[in-house]
Amino acid sequence: MTDVFWFSYSLSDFLMFGPEVFLRLFVRINQDFWPWQGGAVAMMVLVAGLLVRGDKPAKRAVLLLLAAAWIWSGAGFLMEYYGPINIPATWFGWAFILQAALLTVAALVWPWDGSPEKPARQWHAGTAWLAMTALLSLLAVAQSGNWQAIALFGIAPDVTIAASVPCLLLLPRRVRWLFLLLPLLWSVFSAATLWTLGTRLMFVLPLFTLVLTVMSFWFSPRPVQNRD
Amino acid sequence: MATQWTRRQFLATLAAAGLSVRMSALMAAPGAEAITRPIPSSGEPLPVIGMGTWRTFNVGGDQHLVSERTQVLKTFFEWGGTLVDSSPMYGSADDVMGEALDALNAHERVFGANKIWTRDGGATREQDRASRRKWGIDRFDLQQVHNLLAWEPHLETLKQMKADGDIRYLGITTSHGRRHRDFARIMEQEPLDFVQLTYNVLDREAEQRLLPLARERGIAVIANRPFQGGSLFRRYQSEPLPGWAAEAGCGNWAEFFLKFIVSHPAVTCAIPATTKVKHMEENMGAQYGNLPDEQQRRQMADYVAGL
Ligand SMILES: NC(=O)c1ccc[n+]([C@@H]2O[C@H](COP(=O)([O-])OP(=O)(O)OC[C@H]3O[C@@H](n4cnc5c(N)ncnc54)[C@H](OP(=O)(O)O)[C@@H]3O)[C@@H](O)[C@H]2O)c1
Repeated sequence: MTDVFWFSYSLSDFLMFGPEVFLRLFVRINQDFWPWQGGAVAMMVLVAGLLVRGDKPAKRAVLLLLAAAWIWSGAGFLMEYYGPINIPATWFGWAFILQAALLTVAALVWPWDGSPEKPARQWHAGTAWLAMTALLSLLAVAQSGNWQAIALFGIAPDVTIAASVPCLLLLPRRVRWLFLLLPLLWSVFSAATLWTLGTRLMFVLPLFTLVLTVMSFWFSPRPVQNRD
Repeated sequence: MATQWTRRQFLATLAAAGLSVRMSALMAAPGAEAITRPIPSSGEPLPVIGMGTWRTFNVGGDQHLVSERTQVLKTFFEWGGTLVDSSPMYGSADDVMGEALDALNAHERVFGANKIWTRDGGATREQDRASRRKWGIDRFDLQQVHNLLAWEPHLETLKQMKADGDIRYLGITTSHGRRHRDFARIMEQEPLDFVQLTYNVLDREAEQRLLPLARERGIAVIANRPFQGGSLFRRYQSEPLPGWAAEAGCGNWAEFFLKFIVSHPAVTCAIPATTKVKHMEENMGAQYGNLPDEQQRRQMADYVAGL
């Protein structure tokens, strides 16, 4: 097969399903999961609270909660719901579980020996994170016009990843890149899918994650300045 | 020459399959005689409108959508359709087709066309078996090598399977005008019953070589992407049908696009795909009434090109 042969393909030739089927994945998982959405919301609030606290055990707990969110969205949404209509979603499901294992190891062994952040900064980080995650979970609702399509942290992969990337700033740059590879890959995959599906509002989500991820490869939170 | 299927034969077949008929729909079909074409290698008549499943039937485990697609299939049968085309490449489409056939108890009714789509040239029978299991049928009427992938070993096995009675017909597929030169070579050299290729009012490359070759070699032709994946509707649906469309047997754009295809003397059937009962009804309308003649076909192509 020549190069010309491959140029004759467009992204839409690889898309095996329509927007209706995709948006119903969110509705279906929410219907099946009901009433445990409360648990996902509680987890989101807990992560925000831990970011505000910001001490060493809190950081460990944030990474462990992220790991739980990655496992659930990988094994649940990706492998059980999305995989049957889109084979690569199943492969990503396995990658999510691997990422969760990595996060668990990091949570348990990372020493975090620097000085703590200023409380005001931590408060801002926690509340901004909560607001961002809550807003992002509404994009699927806005796209479908159906509240049952809400894409919660820990259930829907795009929101789980978008919410995880800022938390990865808890890890220093020299190891962080390892945790950013999958968000990068997923965001490209998801952006291409959502663009081709024509779900323009939801397309904002992976695009946003992509920008966050690329920034996070270089970004280092400013150390707290001591007055003396 | 198109073979005509009488309404009596049609109703009897439906009754035998235990399917109810929407009389209003049938009455609406002008003349109410389904147009069929003979499969050149056997003479068996095939209704000129089949259906595809790419994208439309890949709904996974969504029971709500499975029952909606079942209604689409039911409408297809009610309007006298038989040939359903699928592939292991279409995600869960084979599973969903199996569920729909079960719900309608229509395993005997369907003319099952599936594909072999694997690089592993030794896995032909295994993939055929897996698809049959999903559909819940004993054999496919037609097995095709999908997009010529590992076509040589697959075609050899398909020939053997046909000789053993494990399939009734064999064929090859392509789409989007890809690899027409290779395709023509295989058509010239191999004993094919069917070819499947892209042909519609805008994508007419097949008229140059493949369609005349199919006639010459006595190979049935299935036209895929009859609506160019839906883009024909997006481009032209807001435009008016020409005044002379009714004379050419076309009451709406779906009939216009489909009748253009199936009125080509080399084409055996077209396989539009849809998720909607209403669209299926429109599409199946193209199986009834008169077909455009050669001059009208030229007029149709010119009209669309001029829009
Ligand atoms: N290489 C190969 O072997 C190959 C390649 C391509 C295709 N195929 C076969 O050919 C079949 C048909 O091709 P395709 O599915 O790509 O495209 P198609 O049949 O040309 O177009 C399907 C699209 O047309 C829309 N549509 C159908 N009927 C309509 C109507 N009456 N009014 C308005 N819109 C209508 C459908 O949307 P709605 O759901 O809204 O109706 C759907 O989006 C495939 O399903 C597959 O079985 C085979």
